[in-house]
Amino acid sequence: MEPGGGAGDRELMARLAAGDREALAPLMERHYRRLYRIALSYLRQPEDALDVVQEAFVKAFRSASRWDGSAEAGPWLGRITVNLAIDRWRRNRRRAQTFTPLAEDDHASELADGSPSADQRVQRREAGERLAAALHRLPDRQRAVVVLRHYQDMSLEEIAGTLGMSLGTVKSSLHRALGRMRASLAGGRP
Amino acid sequence: MILGHLRRRRQVSLLAAGVLEGGELDEALRHVEGCARCRRELEELRAVVAAMEADPLREAEPEVPLAVVVARVEREVERALVPAGRPRPWLVALPAAALLAVAFAVPSLVARLRPAPAAARAAIPPAEAGPLLTEDALARIERNLAREHAARYLSEAGEVLVAVAATGVDCDRAAERLDVGRAPERSRELLGRRALVQSGGEAVASARGVLDDVELALREVADLPSCVKRVDVERLRQEVERRQLLMRIRLMTRELEG
Repeated sequence: MEPGGGAGDRELMARLAAGDREALAPLMERHYRRLYRIALSYLRQPEDALDVVQEAFVKAFRSASRWDGSAEAGPWLGRITVNLAIDRWRRNRRRAQTFTPLAEDDHASELADGSPSADQRVQRREAGERLAAALHRLPDRQRAVVVLRHYQDMSLEEIAGTLGMSLGTVKSSLHRALGRMRASLAGGRP
Repeated sequence: MILGHLRRRRQVSLLAAGVLEGGELDEALRHVEGCARCRRELEELRAVVAAMEADPLREAEPEVPLAVVVARVEREVERALVPAGRPRPWLVALPAAALLAVAFAVPSLVARLRPAPAAARAAIPPAEAGPLLTEDALARIERNLAREHAARYLSEAGEVLVAVAATGVDCDRAAERLDVGRAPERSRELLGRRALVQSGGEAVASARGVLDDVELALREVADLPSCVKRVDVERLRQEVERRQLLMRIRLMTRELEG
């Protein structure tokens, strides 16, 4: 996890809970990149990820007064972000509006010569799309567990704290999710 | 027996995920050593984990500087708290460095999902630096971002059109049909984002003609099956060439990127 835990966060959260808006910027500075990566790993769409992070901080400000002062702010913010990402994902799914971003390049030259680098790019992109598709087929909570474990390197305990799950549920979610992804990437569709 | 089997399978997954420790780890390793099927499963699960760990998204940098996001969030908070017409004192606390960051250091499209170089990362201003980000400055920032979104949309649309026009993969040789993969699906996804690009208003006004032509082409691709008659691919390719669409996309993308 990136820096952000500890007394500094608690103090900032306490100030936020007291309505001090100036605590928002330093709190965001501590958590912006981490929350962005959580949202991006979940949604795989930079604009959506950014929207989610913004919403998360607005929500954090609004909910700060309900924050349990003994809890760590990092997991609390992480949970808000994951929940908002799940909401966004469901909305997008309804609109069939999800998209895996791509690297951009000179299209005309690709068309003209079909160079090896273009082939490599296509291969990388296809591998990324397969991975994205496998992740996207997971149930919402299982995907959150996988993202926090394998994109954020969180321990099982940290995941449990962030998602408000028991340790046993985290373990079984991770097991099922990896099994499903294995089947997806092998060509099946569980 | 069944419970024991399920537990072992779960242990293999958790072993692949790298979360077992101590006695559980030893037990899982011992079990895998004596179980060929479990070893195979472990290998496959490790490949899944390795694919995620190699995913560039893990290290992706936010493409919008922190100060801009702070400004947006504070604006939202302000909206919720202050009745319309009241002054916005928090604006004076925002850093002037943000304006410079957006003018000169917003990551380009090309570097969008690659890890930013250290120098570029350092250019993202700390939230507590400097005074003053005015409404005008914020408007300029939003304009730049709208243009970036439009540029990205066009760039991705170009990729889709290239994927269709350049395909040479047979999916049904006898029927002269070509595989266009996920291009129809991606076209539909892009068309779903069209409204977001349009919301850029005046900031993307110069791109309107290209955006309209791109939309027409994407609609055609969106209606295709993934296995398309060669003659349809050829027709689409000719249409793209007739409208000089790829060149116009490239030029407009560059213009929008500034």
